[in-house]
Amino acid sequence: MTRALTLGTALLLAAVVGMGAYLYSLRRNEQARAQNLPDTRPISAPVTGAASRVTLYLAYDDPGVVRPEEVSIALPADPAARGREILRALVGEYVKRPSGHELPAGADVKDVFLVEESTAVVDTTAALAEGHRSGVFVETLTVASLVKTLTANLPGITRVKILVDGKERETLAGHADLECFYDVVTMEPLLEQLR
Amino acid sequence: MLWSKYRRGSHGAAAVAALLLVLLASAPSAEEKQLSIYGPRVSYSLPVSEHEGQDYVSLLEALEPFGNVSARAEGTKWKLHFNKLEAEFRQDTSVGKVAGHKFGLPGRFVLENGRGLVPLRALPAVLGLMLATRTEYHEAGRRLFLGGAATHFTTDLRANGLRLNFSAPVNPMISTEPGKLKMSFTRDAVVGNASLLRLENPLVSSITFAESNGEAELVVLGRVPLLAQFATDRRTIEIVPAPSEAPSAPPAAVAGTTPPAETAPAAETVLAAVAVPPPPTLQSLTAKPAFVVMLDAGHGGDDRGALLSETLEEKLVTLSFARRLRSELQGHGIGVVMSRDADVTVAVEQRAAMADAARVAVYLSLHAASQGRGVRVYTALVNSASSKPGGFLPWDTAQARYVLSSRALAELVKAELLKHEIPSSQLSAPVKPLNNVAGAALAIEVAPSGDDVSSVNAGVYQQRVAAAIAEAVVVGRARVEAER
Repeated sequence: MTRALTLGTALLLAAVVGMGAYLYSLRRNEQARAQNLPDTRPISAPVTGAASRVTLYLAYDDPGVVRPEEVSIALPADPAARGREILRALVGEYVKRPSGHELPAGADVKDVFLVEESTAVVDTTAALAEGHRSGVFVETLTVASLVKTLTANLPGITRVKILVDGKERETLAGHADLECFYDVVTMEPLLEQLR
Repeated sequence: MLWSKYRRGSHGAAAVAALLLVLLASAPSAEEKQLSIYGPRVSYSLPVSEHEGQDYVSLLEALEPFGNVSARAEGTKWKLHFNKLEAEFRQDTSVGKVAGHKFGLPGRFVLENGRGLVPLRALPAVLGLMLATRTEYHEAGRRLFLGGAATHFTTDLRANGLRLNFSAPVNPMISTEPGKLKMSFTRDAVVGNASLLRLENPLVSSITFAESNGEAELVVLGRVPLLAQFATDRRTIEIVPAPSEAPSAPPAAVAGTTPPAETAPAAETVLAAVAVPPPPTLQSLTAKPAFVVMLDAGHGGDDRGALLSETLEEKLVTLSFARRLRSELQGHGIGVVMSRDADVTVAVEQRAAMADAARVAVYLSLHAASQGRGVRVYTALVNSASSKPGGFLPWDTAQARYVLSSRALAELVKAELLKHEIPSSQLSAPVKPLNNVAGAALAIEVAPSGDDVSSVNAGVYQQRVAAAIAEAVVVGRARVEAER
């Protein structure tokens, strides 16, 4: 009788410990899943304003080109906010499926800051870099497309710096330099090659 | 000199230490043992290491040029897959399995940083089983011939010199000193009888053939200064008296370099002496820099790079490609340093710091991709006009002074790849750390040869790409040297 009681108690204790461990792992998995989900909250308030024609420089992996395409989007009056909306429209094309140059879900442009009259700082979401495909060519297409689209639509901007989630990052996905400032003059030969 | 932000940090000492390690580990030296393997379609050299007094080689590297090969270490067990065959060994034991057969090694199997090393004396038998071909090993010369690969030669003594006829095209390194002309064959399966042939001739007194450390050597002793002339099919070499006005030993001529048109006979390429660059040493860093190429196998260690397929990591593809390219360049007599020769983490800036500290002539950053086909060659996205005069180069734009030289070399690489029927394109791109390199710098991204992504790791394909790039470096060497 005593032996059966001891055995039953031990089994119950083991079951309690096992359930506890299982619940703990479920909780951790759920937390990890929530952290990895793309942040779908709106980055900025909806824009109101007259629709304007802007040129997006869209990248296509195959055949490896960056081509200008005109689109009509609502733009605010503030130049920095205009830059942000133009780049959001660009990245939006890449997040769609199918896309000629796919970017991961959650890729977006959080903000654009204009400094020293000729320099723009683009802040992207972490998802854009974390989920970006790795490779010299695909990363170069993304950078070229962002820089050319911004500078073509914001006259006077000649240098662009790209941040990821508000911070400087060494490379986009292992190859393309994100520590440097991209100069329009220096980018031109590349864009010529990608035309 | 570089005015680098890099040296401000404590990484400076680490970079110098890493450089020393790289130079010691990777630079060719007179004592470095090597094995040359000659197949019907491919020839290459492998480093030989010593364990307990025996010579050892990496089995995976020996098989890489012949097909898809991969290896995995699990504890003390090491398993290699080659095409549909397997080999299996255990660390510190001398019995394993090769292609389904029980196999005894003449020494214990060595597992070193995940690399499986077998005694060199066992390699002919292992390759014979894995490749199902006959092998012939010249042990004294460390030269292994597969599938009957051999280039024979005959000598034809003439009044105006000596003619050597080869059964296949050859591309030896040639060096001269007064009264002596030496031809070293590393990549050519030249065979002959190890002997001294004395000649009664007013120009040539003797010819010696010998094999050692993975190469064959033909030494011609002359009674006058001698010069080698190649026929255009590279099957015939004429040894003739050097013109009296010609320099006896130009210091940096390169095999295959076409001389100025006014001195070149119509159907022949004249080769002057070739000086093999000395191995990089600490002393050489303060002297006039030698022509050394740095091969930077992208990623490594914690940084796996792109996942090219479910099982294929970019860091491993770049390393195997770097090893092949090293072998090709060394076959042309070019000194090579590697940023890494194992699966280890090396910071991106540290790679550029190594290249600059070693004052390399050419820096090649090697990458692999699953998208596209063929090879893409990149130069830095930097404006040559931003180059500042003076002795200091800003770290961020160190490449500006060399970017024209880099672009010229990139054009040559592209042209050589196209010659080898490998699709190729050339672009500027913001690839880290090209901007920080003070020398001709390229990034090379190897994409699959066809629809199958795994072809990017295929030995034959990588070998073709490596051969084309090495030839481009040889052709572009003069220009790079001029711009340094």
